[in-house]
Amino acid sequence: MKKLIYFKLVILSLIFQRCSGDLDTIEIIEKIDQSNVSDNISQSTNEFDRSSMLSFWADSIILPSMISFEEELNVFNENVSNFTANPNTNNLALLREQWLIIYKNWQYVEMFDLGIAEEIYFKNRMNIFPANVQRIERNINNLEFNLDEPANFAAQGFTALDYLLFGIGQEDDAILTKYSNTSFNYGEYLIQVTAKMQELTVLVKAQWEGNYRDSFVQSTDNTATSSINMMLNDFVYYFEKGYRANKFGIPAGVFSGGPLPNTIEAYHGKKYSKILSLEATSAIENFFNGVAYNDPETMGLSIKDYLDFVESSSAERLSERINEKLQGGRIKINELNTSFSKQIEDNNTLMLLTYDAIQSTVVLFKVDMLQKLNVSVDYADADGD
Amino acid sequence: MLKSYLNKSKIHPAPLAVFRILYGSLMLIALIRFWVNGWIHTLYIEPEFHFKYYGFSWVTDFGNYTYLLYVICIIASFGIILGYRYRLSIFLFFILFTYTELIDKTTYLNHYYFTSCIAFLLCFLPAAHYFSLDVLKKKKTIEAIPSWMVDSIKLFLCIVYFYAGIAKINSDWLIEAQPLSIWLTSKYDIPLIGSLLKYKWIHFTASWSGMLYDVFIPFFLLYPKTRKIAFLFVLLFHIMTKIFFPSIGMFPYIMILGATIFFDVKWHKNILRHLHDLGLKLSQKLNFLESKLTPKKAIGLFEPKKYILPVFLIFFFIQLLLPFRYFAYPGELFWNEQGYRFSWRVMLMEKKGYTTFKIKDSISQKTFYVDNTDFLTPFQERQMSFQPDFILEYAHYLADNFENQGHENIQVFSDSFVALNGRPSQRFIDPSTDLSREIESFKHKKWVLPLEDEIYGL
Repeated sequence: MKKLIYFKLVILSLIFQRCSGDLDTIEIIEKIDQSNVSDNISQSTNEFDRSSMLSFWADSIILPSMISFEEELNVFNENVSNFTANPNTNNLALLREQWLIIYKNWQYVEMFDLGIAEEIYFKNRMNIFPANVQRIERNINNLEFNLDEPANFAAQGFTALDYLLFGIGQEDDAILTKYSNTSFNYGEYLIQVTAKMQELTVLVKAQWEGNYRDSFVQSTDNTATSSINMMLNDFVYYFEKGYRANKFGIPAGVFSGGPLPNTIEAYHGKKYSKILSLEATSAIENFFNGVAYNDPETMGLSIKDYLDFVESSSAERLSERINEKLQGGRIKINELNTSFSKQIEDNNTLMLLTYDAIQSTVVLFKVDMLQKLNVSVDYADADGD
Repeated sequence: MLKSYLNKSKIHPAPLAVFRILYGSLMLIALIRFWVNGWIHTLYIEPEFHFKYYGFSWVTDFGNYTYLLYVICIIASFGIILGYRYRLSIFLFFILFTYTELIDKTTYLNHYYFTSCIAFLLCFLPAAHYFSLDVLKKKKTIEAIPSWMVDSIKLFLCIVYFYAGIAKINSDWLIEAQPLSIWLTSKYDIPLIGSLLKYKWIHFTASWSGMLYDVFIPFFLLYPKTRKIAFLFVLLFHIMTKIFFPSIGMFPYIMILGATIFFDVKWHKNILRHLHDLGLKLSQKLNFLESKLTPKKAIGLFEPKKYILPVFLIFFFIQLLLPFRYFAYPGELFWNEQGYRFSWRVMLMEKKGYTTFKIKDSISQKTFYVDNTDFLTPFQERQMSFQPDFILEYAHYLADNFENQGHENIQVFSDSFVALNGRPSQRFIDPSTDLSREIESFKHKKWVLPLEDEIYGL
């Protein structure tokens, strides 16, 4: 027993010595760091309020973007009703205008593939491209289809709208003719596709208005299923797949050996691919830096702040390098033709260069950022040592 | 003196018997745990491609029959615990366990290697010549064995600790407190102490005490006067590692129970007496005759076969030298990983990689990138992405695969970035090297770009 007490004393004194020895250096580091912090967010180097970051994500970014998206989608639905009742040039223009609005809104929603969104394959059903045109035409022909079938994922959502509003005829007159004759069923399919988009959106929005939001905000642990890890995984996955590969890599032929201009986003609308990808870039930048959806002046805790917290003493901050790379990608996108398919056909090299610029950000996200935050993107279930 | 130690020094066989029982029990639990977690399937059966150890490409999984290997290993563990047909049991266990480890080097862990090494030693040691079913059957037991037979286990444990300790004497570990800074900071969710783990001084304390522990614990365990306090440290250290790093699995328990080999013979005899009493009670219930449980004849000293000592000498000679083989390679060990495995380097690196492969037709100049998830499990992809030998092996696999698909004039280039211990990521593999032309060997891999930084130390 005596020995045990002695043993405890030794340990205690050891710990104590180290505490007092290192406290000075911590204070110094803190002081240096505080002088460096330019943000007005209250943060000391020793505290990071993960829950507050999560609630900012939920309340100021995710839910507002869902609400706004749903509202505009309802407007679009009205436009669809008007248009199918009176298929004329004016109504078609209004419909397309609103389509672009909701498509741009969607760029802020797609990356949040959490909870029910993941369960119902929200992003796959809203925006998987290229559209399966044969399938859409078949569905329209026999009107015997079930949009909940995976085989119909590429025959609904934005990609189907893109085809229905721009692709079913060469000229607007040809398109209007198809809608004017109700026996062709185009109007009916447009209505059903829109209704399905509303139905799915309501489900996902309701999740963020309900209990899910609270459990999301409270789950601050560092485990495979905790909110921060799932969100970071989704964010990085979206950046790599939904943004980098789908919008740039696949059309430019990075994965196929030859360019595939018909695989761009909004292929039938032609001139919208660039607008949409710039919108997605903004959504990514805003989420990374913690910019509220409704008000670009309102900032909250973000991945950037989290990185700065973990890195406290680093001279060249990773968050700054990431923002530079994101900016570099944006500059490259700005140089592209408004229609990516035109760009790919005319000069695919620019498209490939854009891809490379975005790819370099993937490395910073997947390697540097996830290492610094010690978050795993591949929860392999196995022992380590 | 050495000669008289080897020839004359004797010890009671109890420590070895206890070690056998503990080892067998831990292996039994570990095997069942491995099975229950579904890892036999996900690690060995599911992957369509396995990363092979150099010279062991002939080792394959047997599909669903792989489970059979584990069934035999589990039965063999019972044999080890009870000392029933011990030689056969430990031999089967050693061969089959090692075989499963050789199926895919993605799963390489130092503690699996440790397990195989111990099993190898136990194949030659008289661990079931005392307190075992074999003894009851043969009706004879032994009272003494040469000391070096027990000491060889101790020596092996000392090597593991000591080499793990000196591997930590490097600037990343001691000056930067890496990778513990990264790992501990992210453990903020551990109850009670989690909020402390962001402090630098904690990272430094953990790094330094971890190094000091590993280097010095063997000596304190060997020296009788410090043994008890040393064992308390063993407990404390391994329980801490289990709390901080739950994914290290069975390793802490193996090391804690393994350290009991250092205890005095009295302790082991005591344990066996308790086990014996337990056995008696059981046998009374089962209507066994007491006499059956007590072996009749003691034959005194165990005489080891002549070849065992030389085998052990060679084994330890290799053990002492192998971790230093990295001196034969230029460049940073942590970066190139040439001579990294089988050297008791544990928890030294936080390494993350992102490696993609470009397939090029050298004539038409057409290229495309490979989706790694088409061929690798997430676990394999992670391990592949920062280890040069994995990258090369996978590049060859890709070349073969696309050739079989009808592609021609194939070249394989890699786009690879790796970050080590919190440094910014940098390019890892020379992107202009056609990896399909490079051959795996023990030679230096020139196509690994050097780390743009220096790590000092061992």
